[in-house]
Amino acid sequence: MKERILIANRGEIAIRIMQACEALGLDHVVVYTPEDRYSMHVRMAAKAFQIASYKDPNDIFEVADHAKCTAIHPGYGFFSENFRFARRAAMRSRPVRFIGPRWEVIRDLGSKINTKKVAKDLGIPVIPGTDRPIYNEIEAEGIAEWLFLLQKEQGVTHPSILVKASAGGGGMGIEEVNHLNTFRRVYRRIQSYSKRQFGDEGVLIEQCLRDYHHLEVQLVCSQHSEISHFGTRNCTIQSTGRQKRVEVAPGFDPDYCTYPFNAQKVLERIVAYSVKMAKHVQYDNVGTWEWVVTRDGNPYLLEVNTRIQVENGISARIARIKGTDGYPNIVKEQIRVAFGDRLGYSQEDISFSGTSIELRIVAEDARRGFKPWCGAITRFAPYQADWVNVHTHIPPDLSYFIPTEYDPNLALAIIWGQNTAEAVERAHIFIKNTQIEGKDSHDQTIITNLPYLQEKLNDVLKF
Amino acid sequence: MPAKDKTMMDSGKLITQLYDRATYLIDIKKSQDWGNIGDILKNLHQVRQSIFDLDEQVVFEQLEQLDAQISDLEGRLARSITPADVVNIVRSPQRFTLMDVLENVYDSFTELGGSGDCNVDPAMVAARATVSRRVKDKLYTHQIMVIGHEKGRGEEFRNGGCARPWGNDKALRYMHTAETEGIPIHFYIFTPGSYPIEDYPGAAQQIARNLYAMAKLRTPMISFISEGGSGGAEAIGLADMRLMASHGYYSVISPEGAAAIEGKIREGHKVPKELIEHCAAQLRMTARDNLELGTIDRVVQEPPLGAKREDYAFFRRLRYEMIRATDEVVLQAKSFRAMRTYALKMDDNDGSVEEFPVGVHWEMDRSEIRRLLELRSEKYRRMGQGFGIEEKKGLLAGLSKAKELAEAGYYELRYGLIRPHEKNVKKVISEVSSEGSTFLRKVTEPVRAMYEFVLPKTEDVRTGPMEGVERRSIFIEEWEPYVSPLANEDRTITCPNAEKSGCQDLWVPDLYGEFCGVCPTCGHHFPLEYQWYLENLFDRKTLKEFNTHIVSQNPLRFQGFDARLEKDIKKTGRRSSIITFDAGVNGIKLVGAMLFSDFRNGTVGSAEGEKFVRACDKARITRRPFLAYIHTTGGIRINEGTLGVVQMPKCTMAVREYIDSGGLYIVVYDNNSYAGPVASFLGCSPYQFAIRSSRIGFAGPRVIRETTGQDVPPDYHSAHNALKRGHIQGIWDRREFRKRLYEALVTMGGPNLYYK
Amino acid sequence: MDIDLNALLETYRKNPFEDHVLQSVHTGIITFKVQEDQEVHGPEGKWHQKPGTLLYQLERENNIKKIYSPCSGTIIDLRRDLNGSFTEAGVDLMSIRHRLDKDEVIDRILRDVLILFTAPQRARYLLSPEFAVKIEKQGQPSIQPGDEPIIMSLMKRDTNLVYSSTPGVIYKVYFQQGALVEEGAPLLGICQEENLSYIQQVVNKIKTEWE
Repeated sequence: MKERILIANRGEIAIRIMQACEALGLDHVVVYTPEDRYSMHVRMAAKAFQIASYKDPNDIFEVADHAKCTAIHPGYGFFSENFRFARRAAMRSRPVRFIGPRWEVIRDLGSKINTKKVAKDLGIPVIPGTDRPIYNEIEAEGIAEWLFLLQKEQGVTHPSILVKASAGGGGMGIEEVNHLNTFRRVYRRIQSYSKRQFGDEGVLIEQCLRDYHHLEVQLVCSQHSEISHFGTRNCTIQSTGRQKRVEVAPGFDPDYCTYPFNAQKVLERIVAYSVKMAKHVQYDNVGTWEWVVTRDGNPYLLEVNTRIQVENGISARIARIKGTDGYPNIVKEQIRVAFGDRLGYSQEDISFSGTSIELRIVAEDARRGFKPWCGAITRFAPYQADWVNVHTHIPPDLSYFIPTEYDPNLALAIIWGQNTAEAVERAHIFIKNTQIEGKDSHDQTIITNLPYLQEKLNDVLKF
Repeated sequence: MPAKDKTMMDSGKLITQLYDRATYLIDIKKSQDWGNIGDILKNLHQVRQSIFDLDEQVVFEQLEQLDAQISDLEGRLARSITPADVVNIVRSPQRFTLMDVLENVYDSFTELGGSGDCNVDPAMVAARATVSRRVKDKLYTHQIMVIGHEKGRGEEFRNGGCARPWGNDKALRYMHTAETEGIPIHFYIFTPGSYPIEDYPGAAQQIARNLYAMAKLRTPMISFISEGGSGGAEAIGLADMRLMASHGYYSVISPEGAAAIEGKIREGHKVPKELIEHCAAQLRMTARDNLELGTIDRVVQEPPLGAKREDYAFFRRLRYEMIRATDEVVLQAKSFRAMRTYALKMDDNDGSVEEFPVGVHWEMDRSEIRRLLELRSEKYRRMGQGFGIEEKKGLLAGLSKAKELAEAGYYELRYGLIRPHEKNVKKVISEVSSEGSTFLRKVTEPVRAMYEFVLPKTEDVRTGPMEGVERRSIFIEEWEPYVSPLANEDRTITCPNAEKSGCQDLWVPDLYGEFCGVCPTCGHHFPLEYQWYLENLFDRKTLKEFNTHIVSQNPLRFQGFDARLEKDIKKTGRRSSIITFDAGVNGIKLVGAMLFSDFRNGTVGSAEGEKFVRACDKARITRRPFLAYIHTTGGIRINEGTLGVVQMPKCTMAVREYIDSGGLYIVVYDNNSYAGPVASFLGCSPYQFAIRSSRIGFAGPRVIRETTGQDVPPDYHSAHNALKRGHIQGIWDRREFRKRLYEALVTMGGPNLYYK
Repeated sequence: MDIDLNALLETYRKNPFEDHVLQSVHTGIITFKVQEDQEVHGPEGKWHQKPGTLLYQLERENNIKKIYSPCSGTIIDLRRDLNGSFTEAGVDLMSIRHRLDKDEVIDRILRDVLILFTAPQRARYLLSPEFAVKIEKQGQPSIQPGDEPIIMSLMKRDTNLVYSSTPGVIYKVYFQQGALVEEGAPLLGICQEENLSYIQQVVNKIKTEWE
């Protein structure tokens, strides 16, 4: 029986999955909500079904059964890291393959606390702090005291710690404490917030790191215990709310700028740690290990993303696999391994060349707190060259209303250069020559983050 | 009576009397066809119409004839009064009411807490009264508190004798007054049932409070039952002696109500008369039945067709019986010898109800009161015993008795002598060490397994070659949590709050597995089977059931009930609707009782009551906290009649004694908890909690509609509203049940837990 | 502040109907329970506890969902052809031709009288917790310029909307909590205190004139 994949996502990732399916010779079906009726991902699909919400698992499984799909690709966001969705896919009476890691892995690495604990056990550095929820004030104060002491020893000039709701996430229920004296008040506030919001008063306490870079290690693993990495990425440039805006592969480039530490060594370390942990948890799909690297060159594991990521393209863009033409496609690799294929190459077969930069083009006002812009796009003309790939769901031929239900992401541009300097140079060229026109309901001109991206390009990879 | 002595005036009066007698018969038989009573009434009507046209002589002849016919029918009825007839006698507007009793039995009285319709609750009358007895031509007067229902004569404000919650509260207030003043209380029960509304203080909760107080009220109490409608009767029924009118009824439910349930009659449909009559007979509600079952102590004889408003001879008898009962209660508590002398003298009294051979003082001293309370306790603990116990045989029984005694001795020693010393030692220790803080952590830490599965023990992880190795979770769970069998189905379910809260359909394996039956969006609790709680609430392997040999039976030989019992036994593998057990919560040992839905809908009968009392006693003896977790209770088991009803005072007595001895009694309601149990041994707990989405109340919406004629909102009985009304102290999330319970045990018990 | 009430009433009298288009709430196999031209009723009972006429069933993932009529009226444009087949979400299934009742006419006409606080954008809207409580407790709480009665949820971001018109009381809330509201649709109907009696007059007049 021919495999048929239900693409349970929208926008550019749905299109990339669709293209990967086509390259692999697999059938595919898309779902969409009324808001997305005119999105390219719907128009390009051979078969599309309207559903109530991308977040309703019931509609997705119902469509999967109706359309006789054998697998579901969750893309990123939505159900991609929802172990219950993956578990249901596997355990329902008509199982559907979930394109992602085993649900147990998603569950176990989905918990930051748990990930931290496993890392600690393996000797992998994590941000100093608690590795389990704290419920007792006296205990919490003890930990806070220790963390301040630790920073003093490290010579941190403005030591501070973070108090977080253990059941929280996404920046909610986090407060910074600069002095031990104020700790108790903040602790109590977070505790009661946590109890109110999540019904659990557990609190996490950790050192507040400043002045760090946000790095990632891209892994591709198979169900046959094969583990390979596709290098590192640097995702330090983020908007408020920790939304990534510019990503670069590789993670550091000592040839482009200088670092206060041995950059190459740090990269090697985080790759080795990531691989070690993947092996330990029997990781079996694509995944990203997120790290912070502080000015003193110490890496700390932040979390593991058990899914394909938006920025997977830049890692692929700088990679070469021995015996194949061009550069690989990690989305395609993901689908392949999910169906039980072997990688067909080893780590020695993977080599890297050049630098790749991803620009996330978003309709937002970077000068006003990244406020989203809503309206209609009348013309979207990205600059074209053989060194840039643009992924977008915006139709080229008609005026397109940005759905207000979702993020106002317009497109991704993946730019490649032989070295970082060239990549940055080309990114500037791309931004200067890309034209986006649109009007909102009050006849105001579209606002995009292109100026912001241009400005931030100067900071790329620099500590 | 010779007609010629009569005047025209008299004939009118005579007609009225005959009219009353005839309608009384119709009231009782609920039919004009019986014995052609309809024709008699028609003739009577004709005579009245033509009274001025006819010859006086003819009128009297006709009336005499009708009189004879009616007398004939009365005789016929008196010889074969059925239970259904009794119910109608009691409900007849011609029957005597409390006002008649106050006027005729007592010398003088002053109503308390309002009078007539200007009243807290006109259905409940309290009065300070005097009653006198003649002893050898001398008159002795006693002070007395009279509390009872007033049915009235069709006045709407009397509410047919259905006391509102605040009416029962008023009764309780004056019970305490009597206690303070040291005067006995005479209760008169004339109620079809309590008015089933939840407004504060709440029908069920107030009855429970009354029972709890009466269990140890320090004054003699005598009750007299004319119409004893279940919970409403109990609100003023827990007395030292219970008398009953020979034509009264005392029942767990009205025959109509029983028939509606038995016949599964849909709301608004007519219940067949035959079924009502059948149920009336099955419920064993007459005075003689109750005397046989031991639920009352004595019967007060009424005239052959029941006492009416003007049966003065009956009121004299009633006075005699009430005084005598009071004498006996007082004397029993005073001394055995005095009681014997009294009994002998009364036997010599030739059955006179006018005069007493002796006078008795009703004042009691402290030790006599103590004896009174002991006797009361014994009385109620004995009630309903022997209906549902599968006795252990011979040696085994002796052994277990010896074991119980030894246990009692052990705990007496341990807590009586050692514990106070131990406490002091502990106090010293906690002052000098930081033990306090580790203790605290335990308290607040939730049941982790219920929140998330992630409880890693990485040492256990299999390393080495993975080829061909069976895939399993990389982290070993601390323990495999019990998973509801409801989870084994591949389908989704819609949350009842979906429209309001936007809940997505829930996949059943998620819902009943990981989510513990709770909607993650709105927190709605879907019902779970009782086993879930047994498995998840207590420490592993600490749960030990006891008294499984006490089993539900069919003491009234209620038709068709044996088969239903058998079916439930087969279905559940259990033999009563209550599970009593020892268990631990985070190391704290407790005794538990759980009423569960699968067996007769968690109703309480003799076996359940007995098991509850024994569990309560076990907690008292072993000095452990006592948890009543009510998975569901549908009330008192109607198939056991008043044997079921007396479980209310009986269990409340046990609870009261447990709490008085220093016990911590916690009640947690789940799903549906209604009627008798809530109105007694559950509602009297100072610490009542409810699991979310549960319903608690006195009567369900249908009964409320049928008795009050009012519709109640769909959330009328919700835990939320129960909390608002102050009936419960908090609402617990099922996922946090264990944690909350532990917190409750520690905070309400304190470090010197469960025992003063 | 004056309206031609008679003219307004006349237009509603001429066409007292509103067609409610019903769309499938989600995917699934559909089974209709009503016929074209059938009269249906909305929820009934003092607390609307009795659901309206059963319109259709939607079976999805072994769960049969019953969809009841939200209002009274006549079924038109029934998509009988869909019966028994898989249906996508958001598909037009039928319409209910609903005859406006007195309260609804009052509601429609008051929109011309009240100060309307409208949706600045197509987005999801919520009452701010403060005002949600006030409305629940007081029914028609007062509102001042500068108050933030509403939260707009747009592109995953919550923005507090500031009320800037004249002070008054919140007479009517037009949206469901968390529902998607089209740009320009009314969110709140606000009435100046001194106009409350006038509003009451309007309401009374409609009540007497509309049968």
